[in-house]
Amino acid sequence: MTLETEVQSLRQVPMFRDVDPARLKLLAFTSERVQFSDGQRFFSQGDPSDAAYVILDGRASVLLNTPGGDIQVAELGSNALVGEMGILSDTPRSATIMASEPTTALRIDKRVFLELLAQFPQMSLAIMRELAKRLERTNAQLVAQSSS
Amino acid sequence: MEKSLFRYIWTHSKRDQLIVCAVVLASLPFYFMSLDLPRQIVNQAIQGEAFRDGNATAPFLNLDFAWPDWLGGGSFEIFEGFQVGRVGLLFGLSSVFLLFVVINGGFKYWINVSKGILGERMLRRMRFDLFSMVLRFTPEALRTVKSSETATIIKDEVEPIGGFIGDAFITPIFLGMQAITALAFIMLQNIWLGMIALAVIAVQFTIIPRLRRELLRLGKQRQLASRQLAGRIAEVLDGIEVVHVHNAHSWERAEIGQRLFTLFTIRLKIYNRKFFVKSLNNFLAQLTPFFFYAIGGYFALRGTLDIGQLVAVIGAYRELPPPLKELIDWDQQRLDVQVKYDQVTQHFAEERLGPLLEARDAEEDQPLTGSLVGEDIRVAGPHGDMIIEGGGFQFELPASVALISNGGAAASIMARILARRMQEFSGQVRINERDLIQLPASVVGRRIAYAGVDPILFPGSIRENLIYGLRSKPISRSAEDKREMDRRIAEAIRTGNPIESIADQWIDYERVGAENEGELDRILLDLLNRVGMGDTIYLFGLAGRIDPERHPALAERLVEARQRLRETFQSNGMSDLVEPFDPGRYNTQATIAENLLFGVPVSDEFRGRNLAENAQFRSAMDRAGLTDDLVRMGLQIAETMAEIFEGLPPGHSLFEQFSFIGADELTEFGAMLRRQARGDTNLKREDRTRLLSLPLAYIEARHRLGLLDDRMMSRIVEARGLVREILEKTDAAGVEFYDPDRVCAAAPLRDNLLFGRISYQVANSRVRVAEAIATIVREFDLLEDVERIGLDHQVGTAGRLLSAQERASVNLVRCLVKRPDILVIDGALAPFDEARSQQMLQLLLGLFEQQSLFMVLPNDRQANDFDVQMRFRDGQIITQKTAEPAPRASSPEPEAAQRIAGEVA
Repeated sequence: MTLETEVQSLRQVPMFRDVDPARLKLLAFTSERVQFSDGQRFFSQGDPSDAAYVILDGRASVLLNTPGGDIQVAELGSNALVGEMGILSDTPRSATIMASEPTTALRIDKRVFLELLAQFPQMSLAIMRELAKRLERTNAQLVAQSSS
Repeated sequence: MEKSLFRYIWTHSKRDQLIVCAVVLASLPFYFMSLDLPRQIVNQAIQGEAFRDGNATAPFLNLDFAWPDWLGGGSFEIFEGFQVGRVGLLFGLSSVFLLFVVINGGFKYWINVSKGILGERMLRRMRFDLFSMVLRFTPEALRTVKSSETATIIKDEVEPIGGFIGDAFITPIFLGMQAITALAFIMLQNIWLGMIALAVIAVQFTIIPRLRRELLRLGKQRQLASRQLAGRIAEVLDGIEVVHVHNAHSWERAEIGQRLFTLFTIRLKIYNRKFFVKSLNNFLAQLTPFFFYAIGGYFALRGTLDIGQLVAVIGAYRELPPPLKELIDWDQQRLDVQVKYDQVTQHFAEERLGPLLEARDAEEDQPLTGSLVGEDIRVAGPHGDMIIEGGGFQFELPASVALISNGGAAASIMARILARRMQEFSGQVRINERDLIQLPASVVGRRIAYAGVDPILFPGSIRENLIYGLRSKPISRSAEDKREMDRRIAEAIRTGNPIESIADQWIDYERVGAENEGELDRILLDLLNRVGMGDTIYLFGLAGRIDPERHPALAERLVEARQRLRETFQSNGMSDLVEPFDPGRYNTQATIAENLLFGVPVSDEFRGRNLAENAQFRSAMDRAGLTDDLVRMGLQIAETMAEIFEGLPPGHSLFEQFSFIGADELTEFGAMLRRQARGDTNLKREDRTRLLSLPLAYIEARHRLGLLDDRMMSRIVEARGLVREILEKTDAAGVEFYDPDRVCAAAPLRDNLLFGRISYQVANSRVRVAEAIATIVREFDLLEDVERIGLDHQVGTAGRLLSAQERASVNLVRCLVKRPDILVIDGALAPFDEARSQQMLQLLLGLFEQQSLFMVLPNDRQANDFDVQMRFRDGQIITQKTAEPAPRASSPEPEAAQRIAGEVA
């Protein structure tokens, strides 16, 4: 797997869909490709947010820490972006991410990511668009929930 | 120092001056004889004057002495000589000429060397005297003295003085005699012409020095201005951060430009004046022959003067100007140097200096315990206000004393008084009836330690800084070559320098309770651990290097530990964490350069991009057929970098962190790429070198550009042998090669333990490897060795390579290790946060149960832990014993197992 394939993966991520390919290449180049073994944690709930991850290959589960122990709330597959909210909002991790099989991910460092956003407004716009869409979806869900 | 330069020179070098002078005088007859010989050879041997009367032989080497006419004439034969033929006389006289050439050469050589040595010795003495005075600067003087100016004075300004010293007495004597001889000769020929010559010389000697007075004033100005320039440059450099913060570059540039202009102007004036004086001097010198020709000729025409006499006078006068001119030049030099000397002595004026440093060994050296009494202490502030006004106290030492600050300077000043850092106060402080002020410096240095806000560290290793306080005098002589030692000591005595050698054993092991270096290290490490710097030292140690020749046993154990570490990785399923260096395999976690060299560069020409320019490396690449491939990779890298870093402003931090190509090079590489794209495939030689340098830093696993396939990797591995062969053949000791069974001295300890590279791809690999290393270090009992290597860590200029807390810790341990009777802490804990400083305070209280501890506290929150509390209010000192000192928390011992985890890479 080379930089090119990573760029392909990044393009699949909704948040990065509209970003210029050269910028995506820069993002990939400045990121690290890391492997997690089965059961290894990307990060744990409450950790400081230092990076976001794009899963290139493999699967990971999202766990929430409850008084009754960890419960799985979702599962992530290829091309999923995880941990980006934490680095954007500068809040601790809201959930634990654990590889559920040997998994390869692209680790996007927080500092580098924010610097890229500061440097390239087009990237920031793409991110904002994605965040707005998410908010809209959440609103829609709320409306649906309250009306039901 | 003496006010007059000549007195200084004479006091310290009269013997040498006289010897050189005597030799100069002894050489003169030989010199004059050698001048006369060519004439004799031509006249007597070649033209045959000696054989004029039909003699077949002539005397050779006959020595006779003709009395001057005014002593009655006549001659006195000493040796009648050998009778030789014409050819014999020619060769005989020529041989004598050769002999004189050799003798004169010998004299000249000896005189020059002696003058040089004389000058150097005096220079050494002068520099050392000045440095001794630097150590004596009073605190008031230190407020105005600039370090860089002082350094320039000692290094540069005295240099010409040293050059002059060899000529100081010899030149005027020698030249003066020459001039007087010539003048006397003229006088003898004709008293009036002699008087004319004398008159002109008198004019020369009165006018010229007068004109030069202005030159001296300018010289003084110039010296001060250039000294200030040096001072200003150092100031800007020291405060460079402020210059950057406030963007004062233009102002500083203009400032320096202004100074340079001033210097230039002074220089210009000096030149104008100097060459004016010079031409005037030349004119006056030529004026005399004018008088001779005109007046002498007139008398000759009138018949009152014999023409032969006139010719002789003019001939003699021709001999007069060179020594005269040199004499005037010497005088100029003398004045220059005298000005320099005056400027130097002014910088070290007596009122700026403290008393002479006393003799080293003090007679009384008893522990500073017993009753501490302060009586009527008064300290005036800078504005005449009283900071302490008639304060007093009395209590028994040893004790722990809290000096509780009232927000003003009083507590800190009291601390400085007690540490004998400040002596400008009235009143008296006595310890066991001994006046603190009267204590000899050796006792103070040994028994009192003071840690202020500013931890001053010297460049060198942490260890050297820690033991700085243990080096007050040499304890024992180290074995030294006897002859070399005698020479060194003789020179030292001749020049007033100290005879102690820094190679001697200076460290006072006994005082710290250690027997040898090893034990001292252990004590240092123990103290560092206690002040919480153990982790740092461990990490420094892992990043440090060991010399396997000096520590063969440690090297052996490191190799063992390395193997065990490998086994641990394999058995714990961690083998993918570290990719080991294997002579037969490509290491994808390492750079291409590292894979090609399979070793660590020791000299700069093999480091980084320089490798691409190294001829041996290039020839190895050529022979391995890799050059074209590497250049191609370079092109690919340049292309990718140009693509992805386009649009980032130059100087952006991402460039520095990630790009193979600096922002400033991007355009050049861009041009190269465009040329390539146009089909211009013939790259220039330097372009190829630059392209070739790019892939050297490429790490496949990290950069993921897909430049290396299996075939390429195996070709690189094959090329390793070739590189090594060529480097070893040319004997270029630029690379230390990896060997699985040996320690690589050029690589850090950590790399030697891992003997591989930590994987970029495995998540969290660094922390896990660090833990594994820590385990192995513990298992092999290497912790102390690693920390010892950590003590070798360099602190940098003023300790700038350390953090503020590390500097403060080193400063504190430096005080602790000499086991003072009294430790005064005045703000030394400031860099630590509240919890750490609380911890430190408890630690210090614990360590100083038997000795005295004085500590300046910002408030009385922690004062109850001390035996005595000293408060400062309205210039008064209020001392009170703490009713019931709070039970001391046992000083927290750091948990060793937890301690050595930390980040490793």
